[in-house]
Amino acid sequence: MRKILALAAGLAALAASGCAAPAPPRAAAVPPAPVPATLPAPAGGRPVGTTVVYLKDTSRRDPWNPDAEARELKVTLWYPAARRDGPRAPYMSPRESELTLKGLRAAGVPADMLHRTWTNAVAGAVPAGRRLPLVVLSPGFTKPVSTLTSLAEDLAARGYVVAGIDHPYENHATTLPGGRIAECLACDVDSDPGFGTGLVQGRAADVSFVLDRLPAAWRGAGRIDRERIAMVGQSIGGAAALAAMVKDPRVRAGVDLDGTTYARISGGGLPRPFMFVGNPRHTPGGADNSWDRDWRLLTGWKRWLVVSGAEHGSFTDAPLLAGALGLTPAPGTLPAARAAEITRTYVAAFLDRHLRSRPQPLLDGPSPRYAEVAFCPDACHGS
Amino acid sequence: MSGIRSAAAGIALVLAAGCTAPAAPRAQASPQSTVCPAPAGAPGPETATTVEVIEQVYFCILGTYYSGATLDARLLLTAAFTALTRELNRAGREVAGAVMPPLTGDRQADWAAFAAAWRTTTGQVPGLRDRLAVATVEAMVAALDDDHARWTHGLKRPPGYYDGDGYGLGLRASARRPDAALPPLFVTAVEGGAARAAGLRPGDIIESVDGSAPFIGGRATAAAIDALYPSYPQAAPVRLRMLRRSTGRRWNVTLKPGLYPRDPATLRAVTGRPLARGVAYVRLTGFSGDAADRVLREIARMRAGRTLTGVLLDLRGNGGGSPAEAIRLLSAFVHGKVTAYLCTAAGACQAARTDDTVELLGLPLVVLVDGGCASACEHFSSAVKDLRAGRLVGTRTAGAVSGPAEPHLLADNTVLTLPARHHLGPGREVVDRIGVPPDHHVPLTAKDAAAGRDPALERALSLLHE
Repeated sequence: MRKILALAAGLAALAASGCAAPAPPRAAAVPPAPVPATLPAPAGGRPVGTTVVYLKDTSRRDPWNPDAEARELKVTLWYPAARRDGPRAPYMSPRESELTLKGLRAAGVPADMLHRTWTNAVAGAVPAGRRLPLVVLSPGFTKPVSTLTSLAEDLAARGYVVAGIDHPYENHATTLPGGRIAECLACDVDSDPGFGTGLVQGRAADVSFVLDRLPAAWRGAGRIDRERIAMVGQSIGGAAALAAMVKDPRVRAGVDLDGTTYARISGGGLPRPFMFVGNPRHTPGGADNSWDRDWRLLTGWKRWLVVSGAEHGSFTDAPLLAGALGLTPAPGTLPAARAAEITRTYVAAFLDRHLRSRPQPLLDGPSPRYAEVAFCPDACHGS
Repeated sequence: MSGIRSAAAGIALVLAAGCTAPAAPRAQASPQSTVCPAPAGAPGPETATTVEVIEQVYFCILGTYYSGATLDARLLLTAAFTALTRELNRAGREVAGAVMPPLTGDRQADWAAFAAAWRTTTGQVPGLRDRLAVATVEAMVAALDDDHARWTHGLKRPPGYYDGDGYGLGLRASARRPDAALPPLFVTAVEGGAARAAGLRPGDIIESVDGSAPFIGGRATAAAIDALYPSYPQAAPVRLRMLRRSTGRRWNVTLKPGLYPRDPATLRAVTGRPLARGVAYVRLTGFSGDAADRVLREIARMRAGRTLTGVLLDLRGNGGGSPAEAIRLLSAFVHGKVTAYLCTAAGACQAARTDDTVELLGLPLVVLVDGGCASACEHFSSAVKDLRAGRLVGTRTAGAVSGPAEPHLLADNTVLTLPARHHLGPGREVVDRIGVPPDHHVPLTAKDAAAGRDPALERALSLLHE
């Protein structure tokens, strides 16, 4: 009945990031075999470590798996580390790579291709720093949080602790303790009315639970300044950032990267800082009215940026991974490195402004260095 | 725009409007029209409805509607002209030359005569032209008196809409269709919004609607019943006189239609739970694109680690959807049978058959039905009954299964849906308008609703326990 996955499901997930099937090879030229992607080095100077913690909320049932009596969560932490040497963390496990590629319907790609992606963070490195602000990350529907690794590593290198949440059964593969794999059960019900609303309510509860339990679950948590917490998400993860802010005042600021929003902001409005960053389909007055609706209800510091040439996946690792999957970007889309730079730069500026009180002229208006970025709703016509 | 949900806006609107009518089933193979092709992707912005669009509608009906080849086209034009004159009157205007031209029965010549008269008439009142054009098209489609023949235009999303919201008074009542309504009229469910704020409860009797009795001389007052289900942008408050029998209290409430949030958990299209003695209960609210697989997964989940003795499928309020999904689900209970015939008015029929690649469950089936079971839901229930694949419990189905509706794009970027074939049950019986009678007639009373009892469910369980 509904075509709701028109932009998100299957290969469209990556196609929406600006990739198209490669042109058929010319007679003489054999295209090079795809090689694993390399994530760009973080702009921030600090070494980056990463580790995974598992949490279990026994106060509520899993919203998708009727047989799971508790909600389990996988949290990937990226953080400033004391040293740069050590083995780089895998992007995802071989099995997660296989299931994610299958979910994306990426044909003809070695099953472990995503596992072999080159990252910058050192697995299990000793954390460094103190009074560090915390950023919660939430990925798009069907995507693991590792699709936000480029952003996460960059934020950690700038001195943030990043807690990336894998919300089980909402992506193609999340590894849980004991090697169990949670597959995408939510994908079976995503055509139901109220699906997005229910999903972001669940993610908001996930975020609150992570904030409650992180201190006990991770030995580096003492380095976090719990007065300085923000959330950033892409697609429905961005919608979840807004939902978490509505529900939990500990989340002081939020960024929604191209996600249609679902959380109901009460009549008084939401007075904390929030930033929308979208592709040109998210220009005011577009087909999705949710940002227009919420813009009026955001009563604090706010920005609405539209990035020309961006696609839905431009704010994730998708463009960086495209080559490894044998995909070539559609003409006119933002190049992968540029998309990553814009995403990292503007998200970091927002967080530096609101969690560290550092002035950010970049957020005051258009910048010649980033001519792609328009400031809506006042100055973004024709973007 | 987020990856999910972008294309769902149109459907969400229909849901927001609280429409219980069946969703358009997916297209099946049928003659394609060059007059009104199937839409390719989302239509562009709507433009004014012109006489050329009216012409398109006329020839689209004649060319693609299941009885288009044989129907008397003069009926369409007469209905259209009638609506034109009535709309003029409603606007407080008159045009001396607004006279129906003589028709000959030649479809092309009659159209030319009609179009000339339409142009002359509307040319006298240019400010009304758009409104008259809309009335003309609506009347032509309404002349088919077919639930699945629809013209979708001017749909707007209510401002402030959130995914999953309902629109209306926030209640459901014992009558939805005036021709199938019995007194007393009572509240069957309170979903939210104004009805919840006013403290209404299931079982409360509605004694009057905007001052009108819901039944006069035992016959339902259509306007009174329709007023309970406003759709956006209808926003006029509705005044109800209520009676709560348990206390004898009588009072008035005024309910303002609007958007209201609904619990996402209640909006899931498929929900299941095991009931006593190994009965798998599954509720299915619509035959969406993966409905059959979702129901079968739910049953398989309940079957793991448990011996099932039967399946209780709750299709009450199931507005239909994809006939292919109805067939797939049916095929888990019966193989090797015809589930329906899809026919032209001339009697040329295609048989729809069970999909015998679907594994049989080998479990007894009882299906709960009511007047909200429409379209593909009636395809399913009529086949269950005729093929003896299970038993039906509840009340007669909607009788809204004209045939699989197919969309056609018009020049003003509106969409006309028409069934290209007429649906008949496995015994070649007409189900449209008539509905499917249950094997066990168990209506819901106001007392049951007030007490939270579900007598149909109880009867179904006792049948499965026999």
